[in-house]
Amino acid sequence: MINLSEVYKMRDKLRKWREENYRNSEQIVDVGEELINEHASKLGDDVWIIYEQVMIAALDCSRDDLAWSCLQELKRQFPDSHRVKRLAGMRLEALERYEDANKLYDSILQDDPTNTAARKRKISILQAQGKSSEAIRELNEYLEQFVGDQEAWHELSELYINEHDYAKAAFCLEELMMTNPHNHLYCEQYAEVKYTQGGLENLELARKYFAQALKLNNRNMRALFGLYMSASHIAASPKVSAKVKKDNVKYAAWATSQISRAYQMAGRGKKENKCSVKAVEEMLESMQITMS
Amino acid sequence: MLEDDSGVTKKRTLPLSSLSVSFRSHEMGEVELSCLAYAKMYLHASQFPRCSVNGLLLSSSPAGGAVCITDCVPLLHTHLSLAPITQLALTQVDAWCSQTHQRIMGYYQANACVSDSSPTPCALKIAEKIFEQCNNAVLLMIDGEKMFPGCRVPPIVMYERKDARWALKDKHTIMLRQWEETCSIVNQLFSSGDQALLVDFDSHLDDITKDWTNQKLNAKIMELVSPANGNV
Repeated sequence: MINLSEVYKMRDKLRKWREENYRNSEQIVDVGEELINEHASKLGDDVWIIYEQVMIAALDCSRDDLAWSCLQELKRQFPDSHRVKRLAGMRLEALERYEDANKLYDSILQDDPTNTAARKRKISILQAQGKSSEAIRELNEYLEQFVGDQEAWHELSELYINEHDYAKAAFCLEELMMTNPHNHLYCEQYAEVKYTQGGLENLELARKYFAQALKLNNRNMRALFGLYMSASHIAASPKVSAKVKKDNVKYAAWATSQISRAYQMAGRGKKENKCSVKAVEEMLESMQITMS
Repeated sequence: MLEDDSGVTKKRTLPLSSLSVSFRSHEMGEVELSCLAYAKMYLHASQFPRCSVNGLLLSSSPAGGAVCITDCVPLLHTHLSLAPITQLALTQVDAWCSQTHQRIMGYYQANACVSDSSPTPCALKIAEKIFEQCNNAVLLMIDGEKMFPGCRVPPIVMYERKDARWALKDKHTIMLRQWEETCSIVNQLFSSGDQALLVDFDSHLDDITKDWTNQKLNAKIMELVSPANGNV
């Protein structure tokens, strides 16, 4: 027999994953299935949100049996709920019954035109069907109404990146950086987009935003490498003044030392990543040569 | 990501092949795909079923002989079309290859949208770059729709450079030695949980103590490869 504290531990694990929006669906199904099958009575009102969480995870793992039983429990408890209807729609999506799913979402939106969840599901269906331009168009319309929706802005930036529309992706990331100035990931992604756009101006912007990302999180390796690469490219450009070249050589050298240090610390005592450490050293050396 | 899962794509599961691929003698244009390379590509695609993933194909056989893809390096599962990390990865893998007497001879990609396994502009771009250095470079797309139990064909589509474009390679010129054994090895990796050992370059950047050359996983795979069958 499992004791109560273990049940609460499992419940707390699920809560943590829920709050931090992890998509570790196999683990959620593992923990959640046991919890709801054996200990539902001990969970109090939490049981409903756990049913929802486990159902979504079950869909992710092709466990329609589990998803169906969670859905039935929720339907029984909340018979007219839009939130539960949306879950039914997600199950239809998992079964690739997109028309039926859309009908369900449309009926929610008829009842409640401000239901953002249903709108986002419709956009997800477009993505699943590979209809990226339509998804982009719908998401833009959505954002005109719900301009503060961070996730939507980020999703749009991802769509634009996939379509190689870097200017628009940059615009989305600018919105995100404005509203989340302490988020190092947005700075770093913005820098990557600028770097990809290319050209001296964009490289300088990229370098600045990689540096900003590092200020916010000095362990962001992508930002560190990005700083190194953008500074190196600027320094190697024939179009820059001697001063700009000198400054960027300095930045690149600083980045090199930080990278080397990070890899030395990582390599300590672990012979299995010796190869990656050596590869980095060689890379840094070879880039030094092209810079001078 | 949106508040809900954005698009529930088909889960990639394991094939259980009961058919072995017949072999031809070495001819022009034949490409052999080793068990090691295939297994790691497959594991990579399986590890990130909702993302597009990509990687580099390596060869340790000398240029000019029979073309054999002996290994692969899984690269990314995010932002495949952004330049900095791709450039970084290419440079590092290049450096590692010269240390280990291998060369980059191809590129693989698995699209997030399972129903479309055609090469994306990003795939063509990177393959083109590799072709500049290696004139028998190949582009390999993983066909997610064929990654399910009971599928009897390898879930791959290969392209080669012909007349200034990437053309589909004749299926009969793609050799997978011991196909049944390869499938069984992949299954064993999943049942033992060793598939979780796979590290791609993206994961390495999240935690640089992780080894993107996958020495540990390589050793496990080579252990499973039966020594009697020689060069798999």
